[in-house]
Amino acid sequence: MIDAPSVDWFALSPELAMLAAAGVALLGAVIVPRDWIRAFAATACALGFAGGLVAAAILFWKSGTPSLEVSDAISRDRLAALAQMIVAGSGLLAVGISYSSRRRVEHVGEYYALLATCGGGMAFLVSAGNLMTLFLGLEWFSICLYVLCAMDLDSVPSLEAGLKYLIVGSFGSGVLLFGSALVYGATGELGFAAIADATRSAGLDDDPLLLVGLAMLIAGLGFKASAAPFHQWTPDVYEGAPTPVTAFMSAATKAVALVLTLRVLTVAFPELDELWTVALAVLACASLAIGNLAALVQRRVKRLLAYSSISHAGFMLIAIAAANELGGKALLYYLIPYCAASLGAFAVVAARERELNAPVTLDNLAGLGWERPLLGVAMWSFMLSFAGFPLTGGFVGKFYVFAAAYERGWSWLVIFGVAATFVSLYYYLAVIRAMYMRPASELTLAPAGASPPREILLSASVFVAMVVNVGAFFAVQPLIDLAKDAAQSLPL
Amino acid sequence: MMGPDVTWYLAISGILFAIGALGVMLRRSPLIILLSLEIMLNAANLAFIAFARSHGELDGQVFALAVMAVAAAEVVVGLGLIVALNRRDLELDVDKMSTLRG
Repeated sequence: MIDAPSVDWFALSPELAMLAAAGVALLGAVIVPRDWIRAFAATACALGFAGGLVAAAILFWKSGTPSLEVSDAISRDRLAALAQMIVAGSGLLAVGISYSSRRRVEHVGEYYALLATCGGGMAFLVSAGNLMTLFLGLEWFSICLYVLCAMDLDSVPSLEAGLKYLIVGSFGSGVLLFGSALVYGATGELGFAAIADATRSAGLDDDPLLLVGLAMLIAGLGFKASAAPFHQWTPDVYEGAPTPVTAFMSAATKAVALVLTLRVLTVAFPELDELWTVALAVLACASLAIGNLAALVQRRVKRLLAYSSISHAGFMLIAIAAANELGGKALLYYLIPYCAASLGAFAVVAARERELNAPVTLDNLAGLGWERPLLGVAMWSFMLSFAGFPLTGGFVGKFYVFAAAYERGWSWLVIFGVAATFVSLYYYLAVIRAMYMRPASELTLAPAGASPPREILLSASVFVAMVVNVGAFFAVQPLIDLAKDAAQSLPL
Repeated sequence: MMGPDVTWYLAISGILFAIGALGVMLRRSPLIILLSLEIMLNAANLAFIAFARSHGELDGQVFALAVMAVAAAEVVVGLGLIVALNRRDLELDVDKMSTLRG
């Protein structure tokens, strides 16, 4: 008889809520009348995410002292709870963005079920406490995302995006897994904290197995966070995937990959921080350079936002590379306005795409700001937040990131980041210019026909994203306190 | 412990991993690429099992079992995508998948 570990179901409640929602949505797809499937599945999925959000909030409140649960496989702490709140919030907005997309009714139940399952996987991943739960969580949400990307079976770009993401994503997972095997070989441990203890007690600081394993772990996580030079899949997949899926992916995937990177590196490899801080700083510079320069020449808005997300991975890697408490705080704060702005920006693109029934470019974005004032103003705030203007959360996020790098004594990284920010102004302002400031002669008119009905849920999602994005600037102190509480669960 | 030293297993798994990685990068058929991805995952499995034996613990072997399940799930999705591409009469060649480019 093998002793079963005691399971702390409460620590798992956010992922369980989302999984339950997925089951209900799938079941509903079979037993609910055809006309009601969409509403039923979307409601189930939204309730799952809302339940996850509430559960994560309670978990945050109740988990003042970090602990390891379920035979040390799950870490129950405020870092995980805050990241789960971000995931669940992103999921809720993604449901709003998805609702009125023209999806064939046969697959709508599966779509929402996969979305909820994917959220569950992400919530599981951020609470990983050893290398096995890390890998399982990563694959859990990735496999859901591969299917979600290819969900539009009628569209070749969508299938292509799915296959490309599958190949590159699995390659990244394979690298991460082999890295985990090497770390396990060097230390004989799988738990993050146990790896750090084994490294310390056996003096493995320069063990080649451990070093190669660490490098492969960082590379594997880099694939998921789409940091350069592991970013090549990002523009293609973001462009080909259905826009609501892209919105969810760009926000939640990046958030969990970066939070997990922070957790693994600070908990499992504190002895090697001389190495990984430099490695991450190099990745950050590469991401900033490649993301910003490539975004300059993009015409299609989804690709532009994809490159912008690569550059934001760079900014957030700066916060992790700083490896101090301010850095952890900066990362967790940064994620909140970033996720809101990213979801919101892709939501605006989705709205335009449904109006035109064509890929959105900087050219056919023309006039959107006047036609749809809410979407236009919201897009303003998202672009300014990405560019780090005051009055948006992006400004405070960048400020904290740079402060963390400065505290580490890396002024050169701060200078690089500021330079990258200036370059990024060009293409973020180009989006705003495209929406408002085109002379009438430059306009390419939308196809004839009455303007499509207003999509209330989508507009509501955009509005909420805008409120979070701008509110993050005005409510800095409470959010920073949240981020600080979360960062304190790490040994920084 | 009986049998060869753990270093040999590590060498084999390293070679398998390299074969898999090269296969993903060099071959053009999505089917072969999926196969190569499996080789990469199984290379890691071999390393896990070998290390578990040499450390005298079981957790590495449990990990390997979990990885097999995950790998199966991944292949199901991959093959499903390939079938979907094939139904649309698209040529199964990753070099020709260039609708997305800009």
